[in-house]
Order: sequence, then structure tokens, then C-alpha cells
Amino acid sequence: MRSLLWYPRGWRRRYGAELVALMDELGDRERSLLSTRLDLARCGLAERFRILAPGPLPPRERGREGALLVLYAWVLFVIGGCGIAKLSEHWDAVTPVGKQSLPAHAFGVLTWAAVAGSALVLAGVALALPALVALVRRGGAADLRRPLARAVVLSSVGIACTVALSRWAHTLSSPNRNGHDGLYSAAFAVVVLVGVACLFAWASAAASIARRLPLTRTIVRLEGVLAAVVALTMVVMALATVIWWAALAGAAPWFFAGRPAGSAGAQALEPNMIVASALMLAATILALLGAERSLNGSLRA
Amino acid sequence: MSNDPPLLILTSLASGPKHGYGLLLDIEGFAGVRLGPGTLYGAISRLEQRGLIEALDEPGRKRPYRLTGAGSELLEASLGELRSIVDEGTARLQRSPGAVIGGAA
Repeated sequence: MRSLLWYPRGWRRRYGAELVALMDELGDRERSLLSTRLDLARCGLAERFRILAPGPLPPRERGREGALLVLYAWVLFVIGGCGIAKLSEHWDAVTPVGKQSLPAHAFGVLTWAAVAGSALVLAGVALALPALVALVRRGGAADLRRPLARAVVLSSVGIACTVALSRWAHTLSSPNRNGHDGLYSAAFAVVVLVGVACLFAWASAAASIARRLPLTRTIVRLEGVLAAVVALTMVVMALATVIWWAALAGAAPWFFAGRPAGSAGAQALEPNMIVASALMLAATILALLGAERSLNGSLRA
Repeated sequence: MSNDPPLLILTSLASGPKHGYGLLLDIEGFAGVRLGPGTLYGAISRLEQRGLIEALDEPGRKRPYRLTGAGSELLEASLGELRSIVDEGTARLQRSPGAVIGGAA
């Protein structure tokens, strides 16, 4: 039944056969109604995006879903942050020394907040490890294989592609590495997409596993607090990025246009910067939403 | 209540276990609401996740569901809330039978 494809795989595995049996009983007329198809599409998409609107849940589950939303937001933020890291390379080399103070401070805050946020995300994973070990000891390893396998396979492909691209890059001139070689640029874009898919596959595996873990109230509360602090580090990083961008727009606008230092008429509103910053902003909003849900649920648990 | 599929499902299961199609027919019978198949199974999956209903182990594709203890308690509490609203609304209508809500015409 094609309408089942609206639903995520895990949901189809659990309820797919039952839903098909129900559709068989409904008969051809009701099955082919537009309203029936729309109902399946709407509900299938709702299941796919359940992380955004999980509906009414007990406090402990609400806290857990909120923390997982922060994890997904973190992944989105990392993607935007990688874009900013790439676009900001060597900014200080073309900025007048006397005007480097503010952007340098903002960039420093951005870097330290990124380190702190990463450490907090790892701490969140470490907190859940005892529950994971307990689940595996009780024979729950079989349920974890599929989400982990997808992430491992994608990561292997990603590492192989990155190594190949890196070797290729070493044979190219600097202009060819930076957009003059169409084939290399296309390959670079593919590797970036594989990298993004890897990040989301690991986040999805972590979420899938976390939902099966029997977390105690204390752990859920600690995860809620960690999620809130991670969201705060994202706010700090987003603000630091905006300050760095604005400061550099005044001090060295030619940097964003890739022109020689001192060029007149350069614009700081470079499309790649806008996209990367928009990703970070969207991720921050999602993280705040998740942090509120996580704290609200976990503190009531 | 007709806009609350989880409550309709809990109410239907209060009279005994039912599978998907049985739930659809029963709900249509007592509430006059025909739930879409996606809506029905979306609500079933959430209720099961919350431990309010559980699937019975039966062979075949059609798995019946039944209320759990927590589901029965929630249904009772929800119906109690609805009953108090019904009672209050009925009492208010009886106190001012000619009242027009929203002001004078």
C-alpha cells in the first residue's frame, strides 16, 4: 500500500500490517476516497515530524522528547556552524589589525561556546550509557541494530568519500579547489550531503535508542538541565556569529566578497553566510522549544 | 468529545477488546463519527506509547487492543470532567432559559 510510505519505517514495522488489514476491510470505495488518502498522508507526516509536536505525553516522556529535539537542533546547528567555520577561514589575514578586536572576541566566544556545547552533548550521551548497558544486558541489543547499522554504513561511505576527495584536492590548484573546477565542486557538494546525512543518521539512531531506554527520574531531570544549557550555548553562538559578521562587515567587507583587502563597494551580505546563519538561527529556535519542553517535562516527572 | 479520537477509542475499549475495524464501527455507532484510518492508528499508537491501551497477542494481521489500568483511570477522570461541564452547562441553561449569548440582538 503506497500510502504507508508517508509513515516512518519504525511506525510501519509496528502498525503497518494492522493498517493494511483495516484498509482491506474498508473496501474499495472508502479506500479510494480522497479524504482517506489525505488522512493517511497527514497522519503519516505527523508521525515523521512527531519530534516537533509529540502531542500530550506523560512528564517523563515529554522531558525525554524535549531533550531529543535539542539533540536534533544541535545537529542542524553543527551543519550551519561548519558552514560558518569554512566561510570564516583566514578572516584575520585580510582585516586591518586595528579593527580586529571586536570580531576576534566574538569569534573567540563562538569557539568556546562550541567546545562547551559539544562537551555538554557528550555528557548527555554519557548519562544515558548505564541505562543503555542495562538494556543490552536484558537482551535488547537486537532492537538497536537497525538504527545503528544505517548510521555506521553512512559514516563508512562518508569517510571513504572524504578521503578520496581530500586526495583529489591535493592534486588541484587553490582556485580549482574553490569553485573553478565544476566536477570537484559537485563532488564536494555530494560529500557535504553525505556528511549531513551521517549526522542526522547518528542523531536518529541516538533518538531511537534513547526512546527505548528505561531512564530514571533523576537522569531525565539531568538530561533536561543539560538540554537547556546546550540551547543556551546555541543562543550564545548565534549572537557571537551575528556580532562577528556585523563587526567584520564594518572592518573588512571585502572579506565576504572574496576581494583583495581594501576593495571598495564590497557587500557583507554573502548568500552562503546568510544560509549558514539562517540554519543556526532555525536550530536555535528549535533548541529553545526543545529546552522548554524538556525542562517542563523533566522537572514535573 | 467527537474531536478527541483518543477519548473515543478509550470509551470504545471500555466495553471490551477490539481491533481497528471494530473500533471504527463501534465509534461510528455510539458517537456518529467516522474516524479516518490514519487518525485511528495515530491515536492508537499514542495511547499505546502512553501505556493507556495494550495490544493482545493474537495471530494474524488484526490485533485487538484493550484498556490498561491506567487507561481506565484516565477515561474515568476525563468522563468526570466532561460530566461536570455538561452538568454546569445544563444548570446554566435552566437558570436563564431565554438567554442569548453574545448580548442583545
